[in-house]
Amino acid sequence: MANIDLDTMLDKVRNTQWALADIDWDKPGAERITAEQWPKLKAFMSDLMWIEHVGARGFAAMARKAESDTLRELYTWFHAEEQRHANAEMALMRRWGMLEGDELPEPNINLRLTIEWLDRYSDDMPLEVLGSVIPMLEIALDGALLKFLLEEVDDPLCHEVFEKINADEARHLGVDFHVMELLGRGKLHQLAIKAIGTVGNPKLILGVLAYAPLLNRMRDNIVAMGLKEERLYEAMNKYERIGGRTKEGRRNPWFQIISQHGKMVVNRNHPYHKPVDALVSLSNYIPAKALGPVPTWVEKLTWRPTA
Amino acid sequence: MSNTDTPIHQVLIVGAGFSGLGTALRLQQNGVDDVVILERAADIGGTWRDNTYPGAACDIPSNLYSFSFAQNPRWTRSYAGSDEIRDYIHWLAEEYDLRRLVRFNRSVTGLSYDNASGVWTATTEEGDTVRARSAVMAQGPLSNPSFPNIPGLERFQGKTIHSADWDHDYDFEGKAVGVIGTGASGVQIVPELAKQAKKLRVFQRTPCWILPRLDFRKPDWQKAVFRKLPAAQSAVRNGLFLAHESIATGIIWDTPVNGALETLAKAHLRHQVKDKWLRRQLTPDFKLGCKRVLMSSDFYPALQKDNTELITWPIASISENGVRTGEGIEHQFDCLVFATGFSVPNSGTPFPVYGLNGRELGQEWRRGAQAYKSINVSGYPNLFMIFGPNSGPGHNSALVYIESQIEYIVKGVTTLRSLGIKALDVKDDVQATHNRRLQKRLAKTNWNSGCKSWYLTEDGYNATMYPGFASQYARQMKHLELRDYRLLSGSGAPQ
Ligand SMILES: Cc1cc2nc3c(=O)[nH]c(=O)nc-3n(C[C@H](O)[C@H](O)[C@H](O)COP(=O)(O)OP(=O)(O)OC[C@H]3O[C@@H](n4cnc5c(N)ncnc54)[C@H](O)[C@@H]3O)c2cc1C
Ligand SMILES: [Fe+2]
Ligand SMILES: [Fe+2]
Repeated sequence: MANIDLDTMLDKVRNTQWALADIDWDKPGAERITAEQWPKLKAFMSDLMWIEHVGARGFAAMARKAESDTLRELYTWFHAEEQRHANAEMALMRRWGMLEGDELPEPNINLRLTIEWLDRYSDDMPLEVLGSVIPMLEIALDGALLKFLLEEVDDPLCHEVFEKINADEARHLGVDFHVMELLGRGKLHQLAIKAIGTVGNPKLILGVLAYAPLLNRMRDNIVAMGLKEERLYEAMNKYERIGGRTKEGRRNPWFQIISQHGKMVVNRNHPYHKPVDALVSLSNYIPAKALGPVPTWVEKLTWRPTA
Repeated sequence: MSNTDTPIHQVLIVGAGFSGLGTALRLQQNGVDDVVILERAADIGGTWRDNTYPGAACDIPSNLYSFSFAQNPRWTRSYAGSDEIRDYIHWLAEEYDLRRLVRFNRSVTGLSYDNASGVWTATTEEGDTVRARSAVMAQGPLSNPSFPNIPGLERFQGKTIHSADWDHDYDFEGKAVGVIGTGASGVQIVPELAKQAKKLRVFQRTPCWILPRLDFRKPDWQKAVFRKLPAAQSAVRNGLFLAHESIATGIIWDTPVNGALETLAKAHLRHQVKDKWLRRQLTPDFKLGCKRVLMSSDFYPALQKDNTELITWPIASISENGVRTGEGIEHQFDCLVFATGFSVPNSGTPFPVYGLNGRELGQEWRRGAQAYKSINVSGYPNLFMIFGPNSGPGHNSALVYIESQIEYIVKGVTTLRSLGIKALDVKDDVQATHNRRLQKRLAKTNWNSGCKSWYLTEDGYNATMYPGFASQYARQMKHLELRDYRLLSGSGAPQ
């Protein structure tokens, strides 16, 4: 996976596009979802689909920052592909009777805060930040959530859909880690100075305040569903292993920051969790109304294969 | 080929658009009457014969988008529509009796020069050969419609229409329509189709910079004044010319004016589009001027109509029923409109052109075209090009450029006759020096500032645009310096 050729990757992405219309959403198998599974699965799918959507918006912001045409195009595709994942996951929810009409699943408050932050500030973040955070989310998603889902759910169509999603994700991860290494090139002190400049940026601090409780909330939700916490942590460790396998990767200060953060997240006894869990509880008191209407990019989500 | 029987004309011209007709007109006025125009279509008009899509219009004020030697006092709008421009071209042809020079339905497939006789021979797809002392390539910079390279394009079962080949019999009422492309033609078509179609989806790959366009009906008094007092029209024309020249400082180079124009374009967008995400989708991420700057005041409002939506997801493929985009959705249509522009050869030639000793121009231009003052190429005596390499106007009326090229051609052709020589061939080193200077100046322009556009070849060489003011271009074309040319003697004019 070391150094990939972005142009070849772009060709591959272009040539492996799939659509919701390729899938027979009424195929038998939906009945294999048990009544006991149903409510938890609904909550899980809803979180998952929102994370895909949030990731999509992240890639849209990254496309703006990409320094080469090829990378910009790749991110433009990834933006669309994450949206496709969210759309396909909604179609699955619809199949399982978890969605009525054109309604969207209700995002939890931490997702709402993250959406709000992305809408306001993500376009102002340097590529280094998003380019180092997104791989963490992707690897957690790929390594823990999706695998877990496939172990739990018996519906063959679910497996069919996630096979396609996983194939996309493998390409995302390839590019993600390649870019993390690119971001670690250049003089170390310059990288550090730039990072220190950004760390103090209030927009970033707001982002952390949205992102940290989101991670903890997700952990709680998943654990409630029966996923062993360790699975999530293994996935996060993988971030450190792959991201840190080259000198350039390790030199990327944002990789260091996010790995350190990952270690705190993984360690249940770390004092980190006190304030963050408090934030999670606190955020429960934020009335959804206080946030106003969702940005219009959210309204483009749909489970309908054709329009 | 029985070349010996075909008569040798003074000038042969490829194409009967503004350029070809204008050249014939001015040659005629300068006593060169033995001219043949080969036109592949069945009528004159070029761009304005082909581009009749709803909303088609020029985006340069009409007073400037006309020949100074044949001004039209009748323009009804500040930006004339396609039909009015076509009428103007037809009026030119009637007024100056040009149709008799045109051979219609003749598609030129090659031009070649014979050293010994100093004669150019054009061959056509229809099988004829036409010979002349001089040849003018006026086949148009934007005359070959191009379709995007999308997998499955041929699978679509609905109606497809290209903007440059409109089907006026197709009724859009009640139809689901997809428009692909948001360039110069796209932004003109969308507001019109939004009025008719039941559902309209607009696929955009890259947003363009769009400045407001102040189109207004010309008051009758103005038309009356222009008719009686052509000098007044010339004065307005000069004023408009200067206005566009000053905008050039913002479009061509990265100057404070460039910043001001970007600010204007952004204010226009903010004013017309309230939704933040839509505004983001419509905001270009390259410098204004790097690609063609568009003018429209009704494109943004049209996108926000209830029946219309802008789609910026990348297109993955086209299926039987519509367009599949990256977010996994198939957008279904009755009709797909391709506003995808033209294929512009910025290397190679539109048909093979053979010069001295059989050299082939396409070969020489493989890595990027170059010429002398955009009009002559060393080794191709008496061959003139309109809109040859680096003659592209980024910001001013094409007709201003065409006019100075026409006058240069007239000088070239009449010089042959007055000096009694066989041919003029621009010197190799003169051409090389000219291009070194050009590329140096181009490097400082916005076109070469990093965005991909049809102005540049794959490796970023700019063989399209002229890096300067229209007035600078006109000045360079004003004189034909004999010392720049090798004068080939032999029999001169065929009398
Ligand atoms: C939609 C549109 C809008 C435009 N708006 C503006 C504007 O607002 N301002 C501006 O300055 N410019 C504008 N232009 C540019 C426009 O092309 C020029 O202004 C001008 O019309 C070019 O004239 P021409 O005679 O050189 O080429 P054309 O008008 O293209 O004429 C070329 C002719 O050559 C013929 N031909 C081509 N190949 C062959 C062949 N092999 N054999 C025989 N005949 C051939 C064609 O059929 C055509 O009739 C616009 C172009 C388009 C397409
Ligand atoms: Fe995804
Ligand atoms: Fe992904």
